[in-house]
Amino acid sequence: MSNEKNFDPFFGFNQLSEMWDKQITGLLYNLTDNKEFVRTASFGINSYSFYLERLRKNQELIATLMNIPTKKDVANAAKQSIQTEEKIDILEEEIWKLQDSVSSITKENVGMFEEILNIVMQMKNEFQKMAQEVAEAQKMNDDLQELRKEIERGLIEIEQEKQKKEPKKKQDKDLVLTGINTI
Amino acid sequence: MKALGTNLFPILNLEKETKRWNQLYKIITEPKPDIVPTPRQSVWKKNKATLWYHPAKAKRHAIPVFLVYSLLNKAYILDIGEGSSVVGRLTERGYDVYLLDWGSPGLEDSDITLDHYIIDYLENALKRALRHSGAKEISLAGYCLGGTIAAILASITELPIKNLSLAAVPIDFSIGIFPDKLLEGLQNGQLSLDRFADAHGTIPTEIMHLIYRMVSPGFASSKINLITRAHDEKYVEKWRRMDKWTNDSAAFAGAAFKQMFNDLYQDNKLLKGELVIGGRKVDLKNINCPLFVFSCSRDTIILDKQSLPLMDLVSSKDKTYEVFEGGHVSLVLTGVFAEVWDKWLSARSNGINN
Repeated sequence: MSNEKNFDPFFGFNQLSEMWDKQITGLLYNLTDNKEFVRTASFGINSYSFYLERLRKNQELIATLMNIPTKKDVANAAKQSIQTEEKIDILEEEIWKLQDSVSSITKENVGMFEEILNIVMQMKNEFQKMAQEVAEAQKMNDDLQELRKEIERGLIEIEQEKQKKEPKKKQDKDLVLTGINTI
Repeated sequence: MKALGTNLFPILNLEKETKRWNQLYKIITEPKPDIVPTPRQSVWKKNKATLWYHPAKAKRHAIPVFLVYSLLNKAYILDIGEGSSVVGRLTERGYDVYLLDWGSPGLEDSDITLDHYIIDYLENALKRALRHSGAKEISLAGYCLGGTIAAILASITELPIKNLSLAAVPIDFSIGIFPDKLLEGLQNGQLSLDRFADAHGTIPTEIMHLIYRMVSPGFASSKINLITRAHDEKYVEKWRRMDKWTNDSAAFAGAAFKQMFNDLYQDNKLLKGELVIGGRKVDLKNINCPLFVFSCSRDTIILDKQSLPLMDLVSSKDKTYEVFEGGHVSLVLTGVFAEVWDKWLSARSNGINN
């Protein structure tokens, strides 16, 4: 049973319809692809528009006499709400601009504070460096002072030794002089 | 003997036939299906237009996408229902989607021109989508006449458009599916629709549907297709959505209707670079972002010849043109639009590595 082909009554019909559809489309194309059709269509559209305009005008006239609003009146009222929406949109964009400028100012301020902070930190580092250098200079000064004192002390000692040696020399000289005389 | 019997009296699959006629009965008696949109939230409203935001299911791309559809249709053509929705498939693929629903204009909107639609509605909506998403750039995509509008905006706006994709887009209006003599009549002013548009104010949906039927008259075959495949539930479901779509045109603002026929069909100003929108000259050379254009091989509404000239007119260095195997309607009805687009777009949307 499963090998037997089932009959689909619409398969052929579908193929035929596709063919007919194409043929009808082609026929419609050919019927509309000529100047006469264009002229007729133009006349038809203009006549239709003319009668529609007349109908609208009369409708407006009757509505005015009966003092009832027309679709046009409702449309005019709706236009006002659209205008309001447009104004709100413009306001929204202005708020965006304000938000953007505030955030850019904030960013600028943050940037400026960061710069100030950097300068302060740099100055702090410089001061620390300078303090270290001053301390080192102070130490060097102390060392130099100590060295100076030591040198001075050494000089004094040399002077003292010199002074000690001086009378002895004189004595020796005298002795030498005395010795010459004795010889 | 049995074989002879089978050949003479073909076997009908009774189960299939019962299902077929039950489904057809349902279609006739039940109301048209409701379209359930992909989860969304409203970002902005202006007049009848709404900017919808459809968040990605799992965000994989930093750059959101913005969809523009034709003014002739309703928004659900890009969000036709689970499984077939272009919007749904894009959110599944990790894109944040923004969709501008034009709404259907009323008599109070009769003086809305293409300038208003492009500057006041589309550009403003794009601004809001950028603001809402927090993204620095956005990918813009347009389908059918929405593609034309997207291309016009892309060539006049200073908003950061990262990628531009256009599907089944008419750019050259000197050719088309209209009969040649009818087009000639429109071009030389023999057939003018100005008075018609003025008389109506806003062209009602019924007239727009009639125009659509005149452009695409083959509607008998779709009904017979339905009867042939009515036993297939999935097909019936899709057919019902398509039927709802094709019978549900949007109204058209009279001023925009006149502008479309006069500037585009009559003077072909977009292709010639003579179109002025909102005081800004529309020069397609100004488009220099990556561009993806795709046409449909079986499109009976927009010819590929109408889209192709765009490729030579833009300044984009990264530009791709592809032909999709299918029809104008099936491109969006099956959600294939999302698949075709995603292949090109994913590499250009700053992927997020989770």
